Amino acid sequence: MGVVSEMLAADFLLRNALVASMLLGVMCPMVGVYFVLRRMIFLGVALPQLSAAGVAFAFLVGSALGLHVHGTAQERIVAAAGAFGFTMLGLLALAALERLGRETIDSRIGVTYAAAAAAGILFVVADPHGEAEMANLLKGDVVTTTGAGALELAGVFLIVLALLVAFRRDLLLVSFDREMARVLGKRVAAWDALLYLLIGLTISFGVMTAGPLLTFGFLVIPPLTARLLTRHMGAFTAVAAGAGALSAFVGFACAYRFDLPLGPTDVAVSLVVFAAVALGRAVHSALRPPLGRAHT
Amino acid sequence: MSVSLLRMEHASFGYSGRIVLSDVDIDVARGDVIGIVGPNGAGKTTLLRALLGLVRLRTGRLLYGFDRRLHPPGYVPQRERLDPAFPLTAYDVVLMAATARVPALSRVDEAALQRTRESLERVGMLAVAHEPFATMSGGQKQRVLIARALAVEPEVLLLDEPTAGLDSGSEDAVLGILETLNREQGMTILLVSHHHGRMRRFIRSIVQVQDGRVMTSSVADAQVQP
Repeated sequence: MGVVSEMLAADFLLRNALVASMLLGVMCPMVGVYFVLRRMIFLGVALPQLSAAGVAFAFLVGSALGLHVHGTAQERIVAAAGAFGFTMLGLLALAALERLGRETIDSRIGVTYAAAAAAGILFVVADPHGEAEMANLLKGDVVTTTGAGALELAGVFLIVLALLVAFRRDLLLVSFDREMARVLGKRVAAWDALLYLLIGLTISFGVMTAGPLLTFGFLVIPPLTARLLTRHMGAFTAVAAGAGALSAFVGFACAYRFDLPLGPTDVAVSLVVFAAVALGRAVHSALRPPLGRAHT
Repeated sequence: MSVSLLRMEHASFGYSGRIVLSDVDIDVARGDVIGIVGPNGAGKTTLLRALLGLVRLRTGRLLYGFDRRLHPPGYVPQRERLDPAFPLTAYDVVLMAATARVPALSRVDEAALQRTRESLERVGMLAVAHEPFATMSGGQKQRVLIARALAVEPEVLLLDEPTAGLDSGSEDAVLGILETLNREQGMTILLVSHHHGRMRRFIRSIVQVQDGRVMTSSVADAQVQP
């Protein structure tokens, strides 16, 4: 309990990092439910990687133009532009290839991941300035989050949350049955674009704050946990956000107590939560008497 | 002269640069029940999708005798097309269609909720409305999808293989619902079917799709395989 009360104290040294972790724990799963439902889970691996490559590219371009932004206030702006730009470009390219029916979705996403991972490393190596700072930013060292960084993250995520809630009916209809949505007069491409924009924002700021690993972990694992427990879309989203927040808090406590790296610890905790829920559900199903099923 | 509810004139259409059906003429009168039949791969579903406006016409035109914004066509797709991963109850599935006209930032009004309940009641699914859609039997899912189509207050129902894969009891239940909708409410119905044997009891016209062409005939004149 000592660790928890220390974490909840007003003067906790890593309060900004804790706030940032919790924000990621809540928001990534809320966007991630669409990854799981639209069966785009591997996109959750590729896009954070692409976002990281965007950060490296933006710094490389900055260096090439003689702008030394490392360690300055402009650093996050440049990083955000690169991360968001690359994420959106990747989403648009994947959407265009899907329309053209080129290759399977797995191969498209696989190629994107490989290209993004390779490009990220090459951009970092090619940048003569601030390789170490950039490596930190790409790793997403959430512990170094500043007060301004946490506020910025909260602001962006508040906008994403507001739009997700406001347009949840249309986003769900378009995700569940695109043809029906078109018959009902919905502009499917516009709703897809909005969803991609929200995904792009969440991933960009998630990667800048916590790196690709934690962003991917929180995008996918809490929604998979929630799917085991819920029967309604609203509950699914709320439980996913709750599972993410729980994993973020417990992960932070474990990392703080045992001096572990935060990202992998958070992911490990969310996996433990997922495994516990899956096991509990399996036991519950095994103990429940079989039910008859109507056929009319 | 009666006004057509739905008319396709000299239409040609297909996918990815390939014309699937050409020079199609179909005239659907209000209250009609039309079976779209033909062998596998002939283009029955493509024709249905074109009538819904989901496939762009290369030539010809499609005319609706009703306001599509107020009364969109009631579309019942093949149920296997819908992903069971979505955590939705039967009620949620129908509500999604009933609220389609509610502006994004507005609250769901009582009229939409009422339409949802009434639509489920009309297909006999209100009692199990809060069961998960994904775990329902084929017949139950089909009835929920018909309820979803009814929830948009359509002038015409278009169904893609509504009885495919159903046992005879479920098939009778689904056909019974369609027959009642047509007889009691004058609902216009177009349905795609691999065979129309069991539907003969209420289908009035047959649209035969074969070899890239479409031929229309009355049931009495139809020479299609049952």
